[in-house]
Amino acid sequence: MSFLGGGIFSGMAVTLRNFVGSYFDPDRLTTNDYSWRPEGQLPQSAGEYPREEGEQLSDTTTVTNYSRNFPMLLHDGGDNPMDAIRCVACQICERECPPQCIYIEKDYDENGKFIKRPAVFDIDISVCMGCQICVEVCPFDSIVMNSQFELSTPNRFDGLLLHRGDLLKSNDYYHRIHPEEAKARDQRMAVEKAAKEAKKKAAAEAAKKKAEEKARAEAEAKAQEETGDKEEEAQ
Amino acid sequence: MSFELVVAILIATVPLLAIFPSLFALTTWLERKALARIQNRRGPNKVGVPCTRIGLFGLGQPAADGIKMLFKEDIVPKGADRLFHLLAPILALIPAMLVLCFLPLDFSFLAVWDESVAKDIKAVQGFALDGAVIFFFAITGINTLSVFMAGWASRNKYSLLGGMRAIAQMISYEIPLVLSAVVVVMMVGSLNAKEIADAQVGWNWFVFTPWGLAAFIIFFIAALAETNRSPFDLPEAESELIAGYFTEYSGFKFALFFLGEYISMFAISGLAAVLFLGGGEGPGVAGYPWLAVVWFLAKIFSLIFVMIWLRGTLPRLRVDQLMAFAWKFLLPLSILNILVAGFAHFIPQGNVVAKVAVWMVSLGILYAAAKGLNGLSRAEVKPREYKYAQ
Amino acid sequence: MVAPNYELIAQDGLETSLLEVSMGPHHPSTHGVFRMDVKLDGETVVDLKPVFGYLHRNHEKLAENMSYLANMPFTDRLDYFNSMTNNWAYALAAEGLVEIEVPERAEYLRVIMAELTRLVNHVSLVGFFVNDLGALGTPLMYAFREREKILDLFEEASGARMMCNYFRFGGLRCDVPAGWLDRAREVVDQFPEFLDEYEKLLCENEIILSRTQGIGTLSRELAINAGITGPMLRASGVAYDLRKVDAYGIYDRFQFRVPYGEVGDCYDRFMVRMLEMRESVQILRQALDGIPEGEIMGKAPRVFKPKPAEVYGRVEGPKGELGFYLIADGTPKPYRYRVRPPSLINLTVLRDMCLGQKIADAVVILGSIDIVLGEVDR
Repeated sequence: MSFLGGGIFSGMAVTLRNFVGSYFDPDRLTTNDYSWRPEGQLPQSAGEYPREEGEQLSDTTTVTNYSRNFPMLLHDGGDNPMDAIRCVACQICERECPPQCIYIEKDYDENGKFIKRPAVFDIDISVCMGCQICVEVCPFDSIVMNSQFELSTPNRFDGLLLHRGDLLKSNDYYHRIHPEEAKARDQRMAVEKAAKEAKKKAAAEAAKKKAEEKARAEAEAKAQEETGDKEEEAQ
Repeated sequence: MSFELVVAILIATVPLLAIFPSLFALTTWLERKALARIQNRRGPNKVGVPCTRIGLFGLGQPAADGIKMLFKEDIVPKGADRLFHLLAPILALIPAMLVLCFLPLDFSFLAVWDESVAKDIKAVQGFALDGAVIFFFAITGINTLSVFMAGWASRNKYSLLGGMRAIAQMISYEIPLVLSAVVVVMMVGSLNAKEIADAQVGWNWFVFTPWGLAAFIIFFIAALAETNRSPFDLPEAESELIAGYFTEYSGFKFALFFLGEYISMFAISGLAAVLFLGGGEGPGVAGYPWLAVVWFLAKIFSLIFVMIWLRGTLPRLRVDQLMAFAWKFLLPLSILNILVAGFAHFIPQGNVVAKVAVWMVSLGILYAAAKGLNGLSRAEVKPREYKYAQ
Repeated sequence: MVAPNYELIAQDGLETSLLEVSMGPHHPSTHGVFRMDVKLDGETVVDLKPVFGYLHRNHEKLAENMSYLANMPFTDRLDYFNSMTNNWAYALAAEGLVEIEVPERAEYLRVIMAELTRLVNHVSLVGFFVNDLGALGTPLMYAFREREKILDLFEEASGARMMCNYFRFGGLRCDVPAGWLDRAREVVDQFPEFLDEYEKLLCENEIILSRTQGIGTLSRELAINAGITGPMLRASGVAYDLRKVDAYGIYDRFQFRVPYGEVGDCYDRFMVRMLEMRESVQILRQALDGIPEGEIMGKAPRVFKPKPAEVYGRVEGPKGELGFYLIADGTPKPYRYRVRPPSLINLTVLRDMCLGQKIADAVVILGSIDIVLGEVDR
């Protein structure tokens, strides 16, 4: 506006529009109110934090289906999660982690033979930056990102060190929090598994065929020998 | 001192002391909510009825703030002048509250049981003084003294410099303030607040005349500067290097400074309502005298809302720009306004055409003068065009 | 200690002393932990010394002990407002060490992410700049309303709002989810409306005009000699934009203009950024229209072990030219890793711009340079 003080008036008009609009237009009031739950209870405090698997504070969280916070280990269900754990303690994620926040110890059975699972799997979440590199390099799809953020604890040292039991979550939980990513991952795993089976079957077929050929070749050789012997005998 | 006189004095003064501090609490709440809504957020909405979950739109927030201020530790810097450190906030508050009695709020309707008490009330109310407007300006001048005391008593060179700046600002803006009030006094011919309000009976408010409009705008801008509100809130701002004059205050003394500032905001808005907006005039006043109080408070609150609105919109002026604005722009303009008002009054305006012509000429003179002064004192500032490269 | 600039002190009869003030690491106005030791003569700045290093995190030396991929999340944290641009600069540098072909879709998505980051940065800067002027946060809230929408887009694409860690050598980490492009288009279409509202609020406001015009002028010669890049250089009259000069990625396919100013004061820097936001919206529209389907990751080697070489990869970040200088020596870890921080280099002329101005303007000038301490200190 060109009259004296016009810029100030146009500024005031914008502010008034926002003031009035904040009562009617949701785009003009961007506050999200997450302090009270719908049924009137406050969020659980640190001491009562549940350690059950799959617990998600779903009605006050602001996370979307895409956000990531800290890692978690996957298992494929069942009564004993440790039977279906996917991690084989290959320690690739421990090596590739930029801030070196993962600590893994392999599990050995009574005879000292290496069982393919971790005995100790610790992540220090005061160090972890949530960069997701461990997820990318894992060849077994066993570590993925969780989006839980209510992790406060009154213990500054041990409280922020998550152990294997805290990190183990089921594949169903993964589907609940990251549905698209979990579905894509399952599909890819199924495709790879099918390819591996097909390759194994083809290899088995090839091996069978080779074995048959070998047997046939041996039979032929033996037959030739016998005919050779017979010829020798005849001579 | 008869008993009726004592009752009259009490009825004249106690409602003021009861209404205005509670209005102060309401205004702090209103300011926070209004600023928040301008900024696309909600403002206080959780503190309502204590010990329950009912947040009455945050109306309990001023009470909570007051209680918090009371419980804070009162720190006085070592080596500071303890007497003046204590006296400064009190001296900031007393003139503001004292000046409220000059506003034409007629509480005589409260004496429904006795006619003579009503007459006594009318006699002791402050706005009936023949020099009410002069008293108003004289007493608001004490604010500068309290600012100086606060800056000096803190024993902090930055507070002192901040206080000096604040005083310079307040003194410079008193002159346009008074001169724009002088126009109205000249037109009415009296300094009596009641007579000024009565001269605007019906819809003859002075703000609808050209010189009145200019005087109102100048008065409002100067009032913003007097009470240290945005965009002139240099003494209060933290993002300036030199801290404000009340940095060293904590707890209840800090609250007293704010109480003083808001009540002087009420007082100056009240004076603006009296001088320019008719002060108590509005539909229905003839039948119900108590409506005058309601209308008066409504006008004060609308002016306060405009002050809050400006606070949310405008950035701050720099110190030298602030002073240049007062001395080189507002002061010549207010003097010119007096001349224009005289011109508009003494030229005979028999019919409507002459009236309109006189009004257009007055407006034209004032606007041209404003633009000329603006161009003269400041450098050429205007939006620019930009070039692009491909 | 640098000697004060005695020409600015009027020595005519009165014996005055200079006031030494430290605008300390805790600033009421933002920009991070940064200190300015200022010598004042009354209100005029006679000398100014910037002191930084409060946020030094040893980024460059740490990078010598980690593999190339593991460095990528740390580049997010350099200039924490523009994590995507930092990622791209590093990816460009590393892709210069090995020959990797980046697929089309990945290139388009890279441009989209970079331009969204430019919008995020400029919008934050403009909000904080007016906040420094004293407008009590109203324009800041409006600006952050828009920034939130874009950060939501980033969260959907990469999983995190600010520390995205999205770029990889040869493409991107993963594809954007279904419907993301439509949501991005909605956000981009709403943006010019916000810019119009912002201009109405600010660009003709007399108070802002009188407080930013003529303040902190940077002459063209000084800007070129000091190595200033980015919007600051363009505001001083040099139309130099790496997106046009280098044409990295696929920027040569998009039509956009480069605004530049003439005077080089704070108002010019502010307006150049506002106009650049409009140009970014143009680029975004073109990119969102033309993005093809396809892969998002090229053929990258399994273990990133480049042959001994050195490379300098640079992008036009929102703050200036962000460059990464890498020396590889055949091992999986870089031998030398150096960041060219635009904020630091732009900060070197702070003293020249502030001398002779009032102290209240020093804060405004600092705000218009647009520094982020994560980049200045690394």
